[in-house]
Amino acid sequence: MAHKGKVYVIDDDDAMRDSLDFLLGSADFHVTVFESALNFLDALPTIGFGCVVSDVRMPDIDGLELLKRLKAGGSLFPVVIMTGHGDVPLAVEAMKLGAMDFLEKPFEDDRLIGMIEAALRRAEPGIKTEAVTIEIQSRLASLSPRERQVMDGLVAGLSNKLIAREYDISPRTIEVYRANVMTKMQAASLSELVRLAMRGGVLKD
Amino acid sequence: MGIEGSGIGIWDLDILTNALFWSNTTRILFGVSKDLPLTYDLFLSLLEPQDRARTDQAVRRSVETGCTFDLQYRVDRGPQSHHWVRALGSIVRDEKGAPRHISGLVIDIDEQKQVEEALRIRESHLRSILETIPDAMIVIDGNGIMQFFSRAAERQFGHAEQEAIGKNVSMLMPNPDRDRHDGYLERYASTGERHIIGIGRIVTGQRKDGTTFPMHLSIGEMQSGGKPYFTGFVRDLTEHQQTQARLQELQSELVHVSRLSAMGEMASALAHELNQPLAAISNYMKGSRRLLAASADPNRSKIEGALDRAAEQAIRAGQIIRRLRDFVARGESEKRVESLSKLIEEAGALGLSGAREQGVQLRFNLNPEHDLVLVDRVQIQQVLVNLFRNALEAMAHSPQRELIASNARVADDMIEVAIFDTGPGISDHVMSNLFQTFYTTKETGMGVGLSISRSIIEAHGGRMWAEANRSGGATFRFTLPASSVESVTNGT
Repeated sequence: MAHKGKVYVIDDDDAMRDSLDFLLGSADFHVTVFESALNFLDALPTIGFGCVVSDVRMPDIDGLELLKRLKAGGSLFPVVIMTGHGDVPLAVEAMKLGAMDFLEKPFEDDRLIGMIEAALRRAEPGIKTEAVTIEIQSRLASLSPRERQVMDGLVAGLSNKLIAREYDISPRTIEVYRANVMTKMQAASLSELVRLAMRGGVLKD
Repeated sequence: MGIEGSGIGIWDLDILTNALFWSNTTRILFGVSKDLPLTYDLFLSLLEPQDRARTDQAVRRSVETGCTFDLQYRVDRGPQSHHWVRALGSIVRDEKGAPRHISGLVIDIDEQKQVEEALRIRESHLRSILETIPDAMIVIDGNGIMQFFSRAAERQFGHAEQEAIGKNVSMLMPNPDRDRHDGYLERYASTGERHIIGIGRIVTGQRKDGTTFPMHLSIGEMQSGGKPYFTGFVRDLTEHQQTQARLQELQSELVHVSRLSAMGEMASALAHELNQPLAAISNYMKGSRRLLAASADPNRSKIEGALDRAAEQAIRAGQIIRRLRDFVARGESEKRVESLSKLIEEAGALGLSGAREQGVQLRFNLNPEHDLVLVDRVQIQQVLVNLFRNALEAMAHSPQRELIASNARVADDMIEVAIFDTGPGISDHVMSNLFQTFYTTKETGMGVGLSISRSIIEAHGGRMWAEANRSGGATFRFTLPASSVESVTNGT
């Protein structure tokens, strides 16, 4: 069977590594696993183009450090970051460091596979997946000015209370706006909202 | 004269001529020489300035009314120095009965005056000390009759000093001590056995208005004039006990907070540790399902369905952990406009599985007009699942098994949800601890379910409580913010 592309899985957890190998293998990717970022970086000069799927929290070199080194080395490999601890600052940091996407464990298989497919397509020269970005931008455009302010606050890592104080609205009202933002943006979690906002061009370095 | 030389002087004043005679002793007391001519004015000038007017008045009154006089005054002995004397006098009349002379004695009382002064100073010191200390002091005699009642005692018991002195001290205590106190004194007098004297004890006092208060009483004994007296020091412990109670309250709050933060840390650690295996489970399931797509097994679609549902549950477990951690750490939730009936049905599918087999009658009396709420779906379902499971467990041994979920609008912006069961109900003792963290009546329970449930409801701006119902079972109620129509249209 023809492979859909190469995937490099980096995770220090054995079960995670093995199960991803199994899942992505069953989805017709050519999977290579590494138990540390260092092993992957060592192998990097000898391997072909592919999508990197890496855990954040690892001994020695963690996911963010890996992103920095890849960026510094001029690597064009797209990276999807996974975490067991989804928080907004971490998601923002990963996206700023050039991560293609950000995913909280456990996740739906379709989402990971969709991300990898998009990442591989996007990184291919000459092919642009504008469709996704346009879709996100239309979601952004549907936000009211107030909802947009609340989203900006959330993406900046502010709590409801702080946003309420900043715009002098009651926290209860903020909750309503926040619910609207999440629904309109079709975001299941805060870190996903960050991802969508960055993809939609809201957050810049 | 025999009186001379004993420190007692003689004097005589001629009322008509104002001529004054002093004996030698008198002259010595006043500090004048033997040959100095004496006049009444000279006498006055020898006194301390502030004693002059009253002495003059006393002499004049005596002349006018014929009464005797007895006066104490100070002889001026230079700056900062004086000498106390006592003068006694009476009128000597002529043959016609008119006042002619006034004459009498002068006695040196300086030493006596100094002793008195020293005593007075000591007494006023003592009094000011007694009035300053917050402890009340009461002195009684051997029969329990109050002899002394300090200012602090007036404050503590509400009786004025004059109302207390002369009365039996038993009026300051409630029964049974009130009726027995005389007996205590008698027993002590006959046996000398000490129960409280010199030991101190916490007893109950009674104020004038009939209210009682805890007090610490220490008693000392003394003999005066061959009779026993007892001195009691009383400290009002009301404030002390209130402080203690508040302190205890604070400590238990602190324990609660530290447990909550321990729970937060635990949730955070669990999130990381459990999300790894949960993700792995989900990955294996979904990988298997993909491989199965190429299989010709007749049970393929059933197995696919099972694998999908198993993977979904792994992901759901991850969501619960994540929300719990976010909630404990930040007190925030991911709220959306949700349908209450849908939430209850979904939670019922999880929490009430096997209920019908157990013979439990389920009834959802849900009013569709009060259906939309602004909540974190995962968290509220946790609360509902928890309440459903508790209700099922409670009814395990009940003859009648019925569970009713209902909703009602309680205020413009709140919707109340009630979960009714026909279990044995909640005892008063359990009721008061029901929502405490780590409190449980179950052998295998952790005691976090209701505590977290209530925290979740409160974080949604609602309230949660339990009450007894008409069937003798328990009804748990909680309120949630209703979603206004505008926010729904705005949100879609």
